[in-house]
Amino acid sequence: MRLRKLNLRHFRNVDLATLDFSGRRQFLTGANGQGKTNLLEAAGFLTALRSFRATDNRLLIGQGQAVAAIACELEHERLGDTRVTIKLRPDGKELWCDQERVTRLADYLGKFPTVVFSSQDLQLVRGSPAGRRRWLDLTLAAMDASYLRALQTYTKALAGRNSLLKRGGASDQELSAFEQVLAPAAADLIVQRTKGVRELAATLKAAYAQLCDEGEPGALAYEPDFAEPSAEVLLARLEGGRARDVQFRATVAGPHRDDLGFSVRGRAAKDFGSEGQQRSLVLALRLAQAAWFQVRSGVRPVLLADDVLGELDPARRRRFWAAIDAESQVIATGTKPPDAELGAWQLFAVADGTFLENPPDMEAKA
Amino acid sequence: MTPAFEKLQKQLKQLPGLGYRSSERIALHLLVEKPGQLPVLVEALQQAALAVKRCPRCGNLAEGGLCAICADERRDAGVVCVVEHVPDLVAVERSAAFRGVYHVLHGKLSPINGVGPDDLNLKSLLARLATGEVRELILALSNDVEGEATCHYLTQHLPADRAVKITRIGFGLPSGGGVLYADSVTLKSALEGRRDYS
Repeated sequence: MRLRKLNLRHFRNVDLATLDFSGRRQFLTGANGQGKTNLLEAAGFLTALRSFRATDNRLLIGQGQAVAAIACELEHERLGDTRVTIKLRPDGKELWCDQERVTRLADYLGKFPTVVFSSQDLQLVRGSPAGRRRWLDLTLAAMDASYLRALQTYTKALAGRNSLLKRGGASDQELSAFEQVLAPAAADLIVQRTKGVRELAATLKAAYAQLCDEGEPGALAYEPDFAEPSAEVLLARLEGGRARDVQFRATVAGPHRDDLGFSVRGRAAKDFGSEGQQRSLVLALRLAQAAWFQVRSGVRPVLLADDVLGELDPARRRRFWAAIDAESQVIATGTKPPDAELGAWQLFAVADGTFLENPPDMEAKA
Repeated sequence: MTPAFEKLQKQLKQLPGLGYRSSERIALHLLVEKPGQLPVLVEALQQAALAVKRCPRCGNLAEGGLCAICADERRDAGVVCVVEHVPDLVAVERSAAFRGVYHVLHGKLSPINGVGPDDLNLKSLLARLATGEVRELILALSNDVEGEATCHYLTQHLPADRAVKITRIGFGLPSGGGVLYADSVTLKSALEGRRDYS
């Protein structure tokens, strides 16, 4: 798909903006804190109605405003020319697709894929398992409503069981009532995560090889807390762990403790990877995510690159751009305009929440 | 505004579905605009508070003794439909598809909100089952995590030698709805809950 027009109103620091995108390469330049990332955040919001950097949608509404709006026109492989309008209020959101109100998230998910490349991505390799689980959940749920459903059921049943454990004194029957809901959802998550990561890992391996030619294979692996995807076995395991969980006052084992492992040459990238290897791994991960979205949805995702070009050495930068095919739309940001060798970009200057196309002092460089 | 007015307004605001504005409007309406309604409303509230009780058998609303459904001898007391709340009972009743009797739990297990088994109308259900009069228990609790957990809890508490058939209401396509417009999760449960057709 390709974003043709993007309208923002009262979104973060953007009061009102209309951007007309021509072609498939857009670049936003400007000093820090002017609103470059805010625009990428708005475009990324399309995919799963979630921000890639805030968990609370209220933060997206401009200060002192009651409602924020994102409206876009896009060319879509399956739906043709489509308009999507999202209104955000402190108490919820409203979604319109071609003048029709969308009330079920399940009807919407998976239709408008975007992938964000952000400098914070490095935390996916270096940071805690919680960040990797969040990435995996967002990626799988964006393409599959049944994954989202299993995840919601699991999270809610887990919260129920944990709250019984925390309060103490719950009967075995009460715990068992929630375990019987928890176990099938856990099995569902393990099956879908196993399958999803297997597919993502294959693409990541290929993308990593494109970025680095030193003959060092990069890999991604699903590291489940417990790999047996059978509801009966998982139920027995929950029952068996009850005494321990009562002592810890929390459910100690389960898919909420799953992790992903990145490795280079078979060694854990978190501990042994160089800075460059770690950076290449997260770039390969995002490329893999984009490729997977395309296979699953039949729609070419829009790539949103938030200030990642500046951090790569020239050789790696060339390989990164070579790995992206010309048909994919890329909207990128940076503090200075891209090198001429990267081809023609449509340039926007960003200052204090306003966007100016083809700033005169940059045309020469472009 | 006066202290008494504010007290009334605060009490009204506690009611479900009423915010600050609407509670203020109702208070003004009763005190200033239509003061004639006030004594009638007070009397109705007092009468209802004294007369309306829970049915000792099923937990439905009743005035003195059994509720209208339990007292109706034409209803099949061998089939009991378990619901969360009285409005759920009213909804099933409106379908006119059910000729058995009910049991209202007045909630579902929700540890997060501090609702445990003792807060539910469970003991009287177990007592009903112990009489041996019940042949079938239809679990018409909502299709969410807490509703499912409550169903599991209930089944564990049935006597081991029971001759009671336990069923769960079906979840699937709405009547008159096409397959095309159903979301994938609903379709999945509709497929899982399919039945013989011949």
